[in-house]
Amino acid sequence: MNKKSISFLAIIILIFSLPVSGQQTSLFAPTEIIILHVNDMHSKIDNLSKLAYLADSLRKIHSNVFLVAAGDNFTGNPVVDMVADKGYPMIDLMNRCGFNVSAIGNHEFDMGQELFNRRMEQATFPFISCNIEVTDGILKQPKPFVTMRAGKDISIVFLGAIELNDRGIPDTHPSNVAGLKFSEPIKKMKEFASLKEKNTLLIGLTHLGVETDAILADSMPQLDLIIGGHSHTLIEKLFIRNKVQIVQAGANLKYVGKTTLIVEKGKVTERWDEIIPMSALTRVNPQIQALIDKYNQNETFRKVVGVADTPLEGYDALGSLMTDAIRDRLKVDFAFQNQGGIRVQSIPRGNITMKDVYQLDPFNNQIVVYQMNPAEITSLICNAFNLEKSIDLQVSGLNYTVTTDVEGKCAGVEITDNLGKPLNPAKDYSVAVNSYMATGYRFNHHDPGTTSSQTTVQVLLNYLSIVKKVNYSGVKRAFLNIKK
Amino acid sequence: MIVFINDQKIEIFSGAMVMDAILQYSKDEYTRLRNGQTLVFDRFGNITEPDGALTEGQILYLKKTESHE
Repeated sequence: MNKKSISFLAIIILIFSLPVSGQQTSLFAPTEIIILHVNDMHSKIDNLSKLAYLADSLRKIHSNVFLVAAGDNFTGNPVVDMVADKGYPMIDLMNRCGFNVSAIGNHEFDMGQELFNRRMEQATFPFISCNIEVTDGILKQPKPFVTMRAGKDISIVFLGAIELNDRGIPDTHPSNVAGLKFSEPIKKMKEFASLKEKNTLLIGLTHLGVETDAILADSMPQLDLIIGGHSHTLIEKLFIRNKVQIVQAGANLKYVGKTTLIVEKGKVTERWDEIIPMSALTRVNPQIQALIDKYNQNETFRKVVGVADTPLEGYDALGSLMTDAIRDRLKVDFAFQNQGGIRVQSIPRGNITMKDVYQLDPFNNQIVVYQMNPAEITSLICNAFNLEKSIDLQVSGLNYTVTTDVEGKCAGVEITDNLGKPLNPAKDYSVAVNSYMATGYRFNHHDPGTTSSQTTVQVLLNYLSIVKKVNYSGVKRAFLNIKK
Repeated sequence: MIVFINDQKIEIFSGAMVMDAILQYSKDEYTRLRNGQTLVFDRFGNITEPDGALTEGQILYLKKTESHE
């Protein structure tokens, strides 16, 4: 089925959904439960007015409508993430939409535990996760699950869980989750399987990714439904494993999922899931739309985030600023920035605005950190040079000179640290590059690398807020020695 | 982290997104993905958005958009 026919079908189903207002719920009469689900909204607020209208419309004609999010509500839109009260616009709008519950995703931690506590306090809905334990952190201990009712006889448990990376933490900067202990999600969720015995429905509201959700379904048949996130998967066809249905609705609020469960005699007797493209919905909640417009028109991008004492002109100055910010904030030995990722020619003397920073690097690339020895660093510089047969990498923490052969290719690199001393050939150094270089450039590295879970823009804004003023007049760290 | 794109093994940094793996797999495919000419599917046949998170061992396939009917 193509997307057009799915959209059409979704609208038809929506329009002709049978009104069951006033329906009596009991153990014996069939009860219809509608769950609107979104995941990985990533601060994309523009379609929340449509979602609000949809949810309100359904609530008018159906008794049991729930609106839930499977985590990662934040990170991805500066009008939400970069305002003074980081993340608040999202919470404000989610409250007004009438969200009932959200799972905690890895990006909920990007703002730090203190701010996330404030966002949770402001939310009129709970954030849940069963595999987070606050041991020494400042996060307010989240509840593992929340129980809701559909009429007087049906109880629905939403059980949350968050995916962990190979370091045993969610994908965010490690400092954001200091003092928190994370348990293996599926093992932990299974400890709550007995909830099914005392409740009608047990639903996993997970931020695990579809691959892990599939394993969860295989190992926890007590679940009636898994509403997932993290992998940004668009599950358009009925997806059932081990009799457990798994749903997920893409990302960035381009879609909303509408899962309908018919419960009879305490069991699900019928179920279906529709993916509704937000582009197919035309009506909005006007009050919420007005608020979204207000948030979008804020002065964030004009905010002064630093001052340039002298004009920042050319790759040497701009690249040195970017790599200094990365090296300082991520505490790495060296940082590299490819020239193709520097998207403005200059920033004039005077105030640096947030818009300047976003224009400097609009790609939202993550920064990846490797442990590399000098031979591997040489390989990175040489391979980057050979792409265009010219200096490509700006750098912080070292100076380098590429010597070319008669064909203009890199024949060798002389590297010295900031004190002018050569690097120790037996030592591994921490080296930061952006994710485009990490994947698009060919270079030797024995360490597969680890994301810092921060973007260049985030790091630059953080750096400028600390140093306030910058001056890169005459700074040059990469040199070329052409062999005739 | 190791993932598979069109059955080709890709070793990539931990925390990478789908689009990072596609770029490492092929710059041409990455360009097609950004231009909307390619879609990414998981092993269950579901569409995966390019900014989705990867899971260790994940298997993904690329298909031209014309074939997505």
